[in-house]
Amino acid sequence: MELEKFSYDNEIVRKFGLATVVWGLVGMLVGIFIATQLFVPSLSFNLPFLTFGRIRPLHTNAVIFAFVGNAIFMGVYYSLPRLCKASMFSKALSNFHFWGWQLIIVAAAISLPMGFTTSKEYAELEWPIDIAIAVVWIAFGINMFGTIIKRREKHMYVAIWFYIATWVTVTVLHVVNSIELPVSFLKSYPVYAGVQDALVQWWYGHNAVAFFLTTPYLGLMYYFLPKAANRPIYSYRLSIIHFWALIFIYIWAGPHHLLYSALPYWAQSLGTVFSIMLIAPSWGGMINGLLTLRGAWDRVREDPILKFMVVAVTAYGMATFEGPMLSLKNVNAIAHFTDWIIAHVHIGALGWNGFLTFGILYWLIPRLWKTNLYSRKLANFHFWIGTLGIVFYASSMYWSGITQSLMWKQFTPQGLLQYPNFLETVLQIIPMYIIRMIGGSLYLTGVVVMVYNLFKTAKRGSFQKEEDAEAPPMELKREPFKKGSRHRWLEGKPLQFIVASLVVVLIGGIVEMVPTFLIKSNIPTIASVKPYTPLELQGRDIYIREACNSCHSQLIRPFRSETERYGEYSKAGEFVYDHPFLWGSKRTGPDLQREGGKYPNVWHYLHMENPQSMSPGSIMPRFPWLLTNDLDTSYTRKKISVMRTLGVPYPDGYENVANDDLTKQSENIALDLQKNGAPAEPNKEIIALIAYLQRLGTDIKGDSSSSVK
Amino acid sequence: MKLKFNSTKISFLVLFVLSFFSQVFAQSETGFPPNYYDIIALLLLFIVILVFTGLIYFEEITGKSTSKGKPSLFSRLKKSLSSSVPVEQEEEILLDHDYDGIKELDNRIPPWYNYLFYVTIVFGIVYMLYYHVFSSDKSMYDEYKEEMHTAQIQKEELEKTGTFINAENVKLLTSPADLSSGKSIFEANCVACHRKDAGGLVGPNLTDDYWIHGGGIKNIFHTISEGVPQKGMISWKTQLNPKQIQEVASYVISLHGTNPENPKPPQGTIWKEDEKNNE
Repeated sequence: MELEKFSYDNEIVRKFGLATVVWGLVGMLVGIFIATQLFVPSLSFNLPFLTFGRIRPLHTNAVIFAFVGNAIFMGVYYSLPRLCKASMFSKALSNFHFWGWQLIIVAAAISLPMGFTTSKEYAELEWPIDIAIAVVWIAFGINMFGTIIKRREKHMYVAIWFYIATWVTVTVLHVVNSIELPVSFLKSYPVYAGVQDALVQWWYGHNAVAFFLTTPYLGLMYYFLPKAANRPIYSYRLSIIHFWALIFIYIWAGPHHLLYSALPYWAQSLGTVFSIMLIAPSWGGMINGLLTLRGAWDRVREDPILKFMVVAVTAYGMATFEGPMLSLKNVNAIAHFTDWIIAHVHIGALGWNGFLTFGILYWLIPRLWKTNLYSRKLANFHFWIGTLGIVFYASSMYWSGITQSLMWKQFTPQGLLQYPNFLETVLQIIPMYIIRMIGGSLYLTGVVVMVYNLFKTAKRGSFQKEEDAEAPPMELKREPFKKGSRHRWLEGKPLQFIVASLVVVLIGGIVEMVPTFLIKSNIPTIASVKPYTPLELQGRDIYIREACNSCHSQLIRPFRSETERYGEYSKAGEFVYDHPFLWGSKRTGPDLQREGGKYPNVWHYLHMENPQSMSPGSIMPRFPWLLTNDLDTSYTRKKISVMRTLGVPYPDGYENVANDDLTKQSENIALDLQKNGAPAEPNKEIIALIAYLQRLGTDIKGDSSSSVK
Repeated sequence: MKLKFNSTKISFLVLFVLSFFSQVFAQSETGFPPNYYDIIALLLLFIVILVFTGLIYFEEITGKSTSKGKPSLFSRLKKSLSSSVPVEQEEEILLDHDYDGIKELDNRIPPWYNYLFYVTIVFGIVYMLYYHVFSSDKSMYDEYKEEMHTAQIQKEELEKTGTFINAENVKLLTSPADLSSGKSIFEANCVACHRKDAGGLVGPNLTDDYWIHGGGIKNIFHTISEGVPQKGMISWKTQLNPKQIQEVASYVISLHGTNPENPKPPQGTIWKEDEKNNE
């Protein structure tokens, strides 16, 4: 048969590779910066755009979507054309994808520190950027499927299955979780409220981990690991089983982020059991990866690339065992809201994503530049210092998480909390924060060494933009659909494959969401819960802008140790007007759901100005600008009407008088502050924030009759 | 590197692991948070699984079969659990797949892997049945009620033995030891609002003759213990034990008339110790 000539575009791989390295450095540097703030809070320099709350999303977004994201695209744009024996569908789309994605990252890096955020974790970007993400993602999809359609290889390799599942699911997740109503150019409210918003968000959040940090990386593993090891994949059957099981089960597990919350109990249990059932499908990837190295283990000892990959796959196995264990109620009761979860995700991020990326880069860069790696010694150094960094990071965070959680739960023989002052449990773990920062710095040092090594490698090689290839055209003969080779048949049918994977990933989400949205008994209403006043609503938006929910939860679990410390546990009906929900996922500071009325207004005033004046030793940053910034009331009217569109029962025409009510309430608060010696003016942002904080949780305070049965 | 296993070594290994678990489960009865031991047990389980799976594949990793002649118990176990085709014979199961040079073997899915999957599925079904079908009334809120009930019983028992001081029976303390203990409690908890010298800041001056909620040890004990939330004084009874409240209240009384600089203006009414106490 005649061979067709075509070429592979290496230029786009180079671009994405460069972006991976640059954003990786940025993301990790930001991580170290905020890790240091936790024991040197003055590092925020009293500047709004450097505070922990605003910068933490920058770190997570940079690492997930910029570092890992670009690495995914680098790997896909290298492996997909080679697996399809075809050049990419459209070079223009490739470039549009590249520049669009970088622009989105830059937009995130600017808008997040400025306080434009939806507050939903890993989906913080506001609606115009959400739309841009959708456009770029669809461009990527067209480019990918176009390439698959014009492939010369009859069957799609397992790596491509994972790429397809990634694309399909991320599309669904992003669209469903980002449905929001704009208030202004960079402010919106999600259509979901409270418990429903929480369910959608963690369905998204969990599957961002599943389908952005896991499935595409499994795809990369299936290409680059056998390439680097020069060994056949251990078991084709295992690939099939673990692929379908993984994408089907993963989507159900989101509610394990909401155990002991106000989410309906049945949904929580589904989260738990599907997480447990996820162990084997996850481990399928690890086993297939490690066993592919059978007969190559002598080389693992020598070759830094294989070493990185082995540790990455092992870290994947550890994290995917730990995850299900954390989904068990009794373990989650300890680990949730603590640094244990931080340790868990960093095993995944530093170990699995980071190390696999490094392994791929060390393999890929010399090939793109047609030379050998500049220094194997430096690569080995990177491997060991990176591993050491992970060990420092993880062990300190496990220690800190368990220590703090046990302190939160400890009662004295008299039945009182042993550590009633939350701050005491924070000060106890400061040394662990320091060790964590050291671990992160070691890891980053390794990356810097890698960058030098790769730079030197590229320097001595010569880059070739296009790589020529040839292959026979795809045979057009029909493959019989016969029993025993059904999957083989599906591998030759991209369209059917997309539909099948879409159906498989939709099931879990539908089963969990539809009843939570439609069946009223899942969220019992509470008569005393009323919408926020205009001033409180404005205050809530400031709370969101400053990302207080990065460190403070608003969710009291039904444990004696929590109700003693914070007050009555959270009820589903309390959150019905919360667009978005603000439950948070980490308690660096105490829970705030029942903060209302706990302290006088002036306490909050002084505490925001300088937390250490009210709580000596506090690691909370200062927020002095809240005392001087004027509250922007020009959007009050729009905010009220948007909220009413979303179902919050403000009376008709209330938006016209909302600012009058706002002024009245703020004058009262200002008067009280002045009486107590604070030089407060009624038109400042602090007044709105205090109004919101004093409202928190008061709707049902002392009302035990509203407890849920 | 070669390891040889025989049944004796295996039994020792199993015994060793089991001894760990028996320790863990024995300790969990001592009344400390049981979760702590769950975690240790889980970690151990994790390590055991890792070691076990590692062992199963150890010989593949070295690429050579270690034992000749009669297969040992371990190698038979390994064989039945992994059922993989040895590296030397993998040509037999090499599929005709070739993707950019990547080939695929048609090894059986390891039986132990299937067992693991089945066990987790069974766990899931049993879990849902247990919590949502057979004991549908036992929700997390029932767990909470039980926890609170147990705590209440413990508290009542302590109250019976007179361990608790309350606003009715509290006595003023005057010994230097009690007052210095009261002072440190004051400095740890109260100074943010009342100032170090008790001259008042957010909260009122505590050194003058005026009291908003009544002076004297009983009233002050009550104010500290229950708080006055609408005025911003928080309730301290969940944070300080009754003895500590007694100490800090006594310390506050001992500050009477110390005339700090820049005191907050008087708030409340004048309190005269004797006449009110005699009422």
